[in-house]
Amino acid sequence: MTAPNEVQAPVRSERSHRHPLSSWREHHGWSAAASLRRLAVKPVGSLLTIAVMGLALALPLAFYLLLSNVQSLGDALGRNQVISVFLKSDQVAGNAQLLAKQVEQHDGVASVAVKTPQQGLDELSKMQGFSDSLHALDDNPLPYVLEVQPQDGISADAASHLVDDLRSMQGVDVVQDSGTWRQRLDALLGVGNRAVLILATLFALAVLLVVGNTVRVDITSRADEIGVLKLIGASRAFVRRPYLYAGIWYGLFSGLLAVGLALAIEFALAEPVGRLSQAYGGKLQVGGLPPWLLLAVPFAAACLGWLGARLVSAWQLRQAV
Amino acid sequence: MIRFDQVSKRYEGGHEALSQLTFEVAKGEMAFVTGHSGAGKSTLLKLLALIERPSHGHVTLDGQSLAKIGQSGIPKLRRSIGMVFQDHRLLMDRTVFANVELPLVIGGIAPQERGRRVRAALEKVGLLDYERQLPASLSTGEQQRVGIARAIVAKPSVLIADEPTGNLDPQLAVEIMELFAEFQQVGTTVLVASHDLPLIKRMRKRVVVLDHGRLVADVSAEEVL
Repeated sequence: MTAPNEVQAPVRSERSHRHPLSSWREHHGWSAAASLRRLAVKPVGSLLTIAVMGLALALPLAFYLLLSNVQSLGDALGRNQVISVFLKSDQVAGNAQLLAKQVEQHDGVASVAVKTPQQGLDELSKMQGFSDSLHALDDNPLPYVLEVQPQDGISADAASHLVDDLRSMQGVDVVQDSGTWRQRLDALLGVGNRAVLILATLFALAVLLVVGNTVRVDITSRADEIGVLKLIGASRAFVRRPYLYAGIWYGLFSGLLAVGLALAIEFALAEPVGRLSQAYGGKLQVGGLPPWLLLAVPFAAACLGWLGARLVSAWQLRQAV
Repeated sequence: MIRFDQVSKRYEGGHEALSQLTFEVAKGEMAFVTGHSGAGKSTLLKLLALIERPSHGHVTLDGQSLAKIGQSGIPKLRRSIGMVFQDHRLLMDRTVFANVELPLVIGGIAPQERGRRVRAALEKVGLLDYERQLPASLSTGEQQRVGIARAIVAKPSVLIADEPTGNLDPQLAVEIMELFAEFQQVGTTVLVASHDLPLIKRMRKRVVVLDHGRLVADVSAEEVL
């Protein structure tokens, strides 16, 4: 130890002139690095936590991917949506043309094609199993048919109105709407989308709880350190900061893992979906995760991690000295 | 200056740790608080650091009533007090340097200035060569000196110590107490809780004696044998 005359006077605190923002920024940097080091010190535990959270976040992403592809398939098939208007058997060619012109003027109709009874018969004869039985017929029993192509993007309500209007036209016998299946698919997709939203919310809550519990355990194991810090004048925000960064790291890494898993699923689906697309003449656009979602998921997960850590640390640190 | 004015502290459950305690320690004075176990020594120091609040009475530090300090003001108060504990309370996973540096990090002192002050504090307690070591590799006496360096590194106006020599052999205990006396000589108010009467007598400083939370004697430095 030094002699008394060498002891520097420990007079009243003389803080060096420093902008408060500098020390705040410095402590943020220190906290971010320190919390990352703490994660690295216990790699197995940290990786398991991140893996659980990553899987939880990947599930809604996988469902989203699946739904977007089903939607894409529906869109591709929806381009072929045709309303077939079967005219009464007494309607002749002139009437059919007249009706076609009237239908063309209807809102929501893109085009109308008149199919003659002979064209209908020719189509039927090309179909396996029909050609022989058609020879047995004396007359052509098929009526004139108007093939109505609705405009792209027509709503389900508008399409339904259009079908009702067609049914009420004079000379019309039966109206067949091939778009009904599409409405059902849209309804199913609506249910699926809602399910994805609910799943995403539940798994986000799970992430919140996992991070919260991890930070709670961390704080409990460092109770002595926290006590010392508070005794020597650390503010609650100062003590809490490394734990908030730990939450951010857990969230960010699990978000990145979830995106990685979703991309792997997308890659695994690419080949079978590609084959399906070929089966539809290449009309099917294979949908992947949009770039904004690839960025948004890690960001949102980091925010969730921060929130989980914030909630738990606020409660835990109130219990400290 | 430290002032206790009719201070009582009753814990939940009814135990009265301090009763109608009135005394003051002048700025730059060193005083011992002594008494048997349970006399109220530690409670008195806890009231100064706002670890506890008095049930009655007022505690004043450098003219400021501690009753007026809210929860958010406690860290600032603690930064103005240097605290030394019997069990050192060091962070065992950080080096000696990092332990001593902590109050300066908390206080927002620039890194360069921190390095200078930490080395000055370690030099004062004779541990400059140990700055890169972990506390676990040091002896109990050396760990206590690290705790003292941490307490004085931010140059507090008041230094309080709770049984700082409790785990040390007599020779080391004398060295630690002489270190406190050195800080008092340069203007720091020092209040040490200890039950080591031979050591207290040897130091020849003012002694406040507590018994069951009551002040039973206040012996000036001149009166100490």
